[in-house]
Amino acid sequence: MSHPALTVFIKELVDALRDRRTLMVVLISSVAIGPLVLMLVSSLVGGIEKRAEERVLLVQGIEHAPTLRNYLERQTYTITDAPADFEQQLKDNRLGDPVLVVPPNFEADMAAGLVTTVEMVLSSSNQRAQAGSGAVQRLMRGFNQEQAVLRLAVRGVAAAQMEPLRLEERDLADAGARAAQLGTMVPYFVLMAVLYGALNAALDTTAGERERGSLEPLLMNPTARLSLVLGKWGAVVTVAMLIAVLSCLSFLPGQWLIRSESLAAMFRFGLREASYFIVLLFPLACALSALLMAIAIRCKSFKEAQANATVVMLAVSMLPLVTLFNLQGAQAWHLWVPALAQTTLMGRVLKGESLGAGDLLPSFLACLVLGALSLWFVTRTLRAAAVK
Amino acid sequence: MIEITGLHKTFNHGRGRNKRVVQAVRGVEFVARDGCITGLLGSNGAGKTTTLRIAAGLITPEQGRVVVDGIDVATYPQQALSRMGVLSDARGLYPRMTARENIVYYGRLHGLSRTAADDRVKDLAYTLDMQPLLDRRTEGFSQGERMKTALARALVHDPPNIVLDEPTNGLDVMATRSLRNALRRLRDEQRKCIIFSTHIMQEVERLCDHVVVVAQGRTVAQGSVAELNARAQQSDFEETFVKLAFKPDDRQPGDRP
Repeated sequence: MSHPALTVFIKELVDALRDRRTLMVVLISSVAIGPLVLMLVSSLVGGIEKRAEERVLLVQGIEHAPTLRNYLERQTYTITDAPADFEQQLKDNRLGDPVLVVPPNFEADMAAGLVTTVEMVLSSSNQRAQAGSGAVQRLMRGFNQEQAVLRLAVRGVAAAQMEPLRLEERDLADAGARAAQLGTMVPYFVLMAVLYGALNAALDTTAGERERGSLEPLLMNPTARLSLVLGKWGAVVTVAMLIAVLSCLSFLPGQWLIRSESLAAMFRFGLREASYFIVLLFPLACALSALLMAIAIRCKSFKEAQANATVVMLAVSMLPLVTLFNLQGAQAWHLWVPALAQTTLMGRVLKGESLGAGDLLPSFLACLVLGALSLWFVTRTLRAAAVK
Repeated sequence: MIEITGLHKTFNHGRGRNKRVVQAVRGVEFVARDGCITGLLGSNGAGKTTTLRIAAGLITPEQGRVVVDGIDVATYPQQALSRMGVLSDARGLYPRMTARENIVYYGRLHGLSRTAADDRVKDLAYTLDMQPLLDRRTEGFSQGERMKTALARALVHDPPNIVLDEPTNGLDVMATRSLRNALRRLRDEQRKCIIFSTHIMQEVERLCDHVVVVAQGRTVAQGSVAELNARAQQSDFEETFVKLAFKPDDRQPGDRP
């Protein structure tokens, strides 16, 4: 003889897993999308890197500027003539580089010591050309400086007078910390995977059960209401964790597909990180499943419950943004807020930090309280929900 | 045996200005004996479903009590429920599960072992003539097929007391007849106590040994069909019901006296 909660658990799990269509949608949206976005970002970054390596500059009217050509060639740049309709191509996103336009009087102005204007043409809606504009600006600044130094030297002024202050960068972030910047999206995707995994099962076992009129007969069984609720909750948590685990594991092969080598070197997501993520996500899955059930049990239909659950979805997707806009840095209270705590901790795992019990305890406790309160509410509301 | 005494229940609908207090049940009482089909007859909104929900422990009454085989439902709901099979107004099935799985699930919740539940499914499928349905998913079942599955589910633990809330709703003639035969068999062969709520006179005339007429939340009369006809001095049971359940001013003009 098995415990009634186990009977409910098995039934709800089988029922949820038979909902193939919903499961497929959840799998696609939360398991496949993460690695897919990772690949897209990598191909974008890879493209930019490739173009930077090629060192090609598109110029119109280079024949008017032998001095500039000389400088650019010394910087090992290949100069290519811009296509005639480059403005249209830039607008239509067909051209991926900004275009430098040299005026006909360039060389004459230069010789006369006048200020010459060259145009850098790009479209701010064209992301690829935008990315290349930094390199062109740096080139022009270099050319400017060289010309200035030469002109001053002719007049007997030391070049150092031009530059009383020199700025040097020293980056303190190691490879792991740099990888974490890219990795911020991985915690976000697995967090949403937990939520999407729990959502349908949580709504189906509560509001869905009310809508199809099976909650009333269910309560006419001599089973303690807590057993019913625990069984249902267990099934929801299992489905949520199943999706979360698949989502975490999907990033393992996902990163082999990263095209950019420097990106692949920076993005470190191995089995260690995946297991840390799963441990961190488990209490959150427990709490969120219970919370979604508590929200849905008050609703008469699946549709109404979906509308109400939007608040939770919004909160969970917005909370991680706190770490993006954190002006005061990481705060102690972040670890007490479910979803925010998990994002923060997963971020630290990606940075290569190891987490101690002191880091995990606040989020575990917060999830425990939230989960227990929600389950208590569901148990209390179940009977009233059945007859309304 | 199910004994119901002096039930009272009010519901509050709406909030604030729109708040309305509805007295659903105010003095329903009757006794349903073993080996007897007791009909709960009343028009729509008379309080039948509320009475049966109180009997199943889903609603707590403000006054009165329901005793099932000597067990008070309000005090020991689980013990009372294990002696009752209730087919309620809501009879939703799980669409992604087969009829057999739906029935076995309830059997397991009643504490039956897997094999005992499977055996009961076989028996019930024979009694309710639903063998071909057992291994189909209930998605796409007809009204009658759903009804049979829900009834089998309510009876899976072989309860001595059976409570059915308008079980013939939506059933065609043949399904209704087969349900009536099944209920008679349960009464005669197994001496079950059966409560059957309905608003259809024919049902009551053909099936019930004892009739409880409920109107505006009260028991207004009870007895066998013949006794009630005699009391109302009518030969037609429908006329008897109208005379017993409604005040003279509420009856439709043009009705026979």
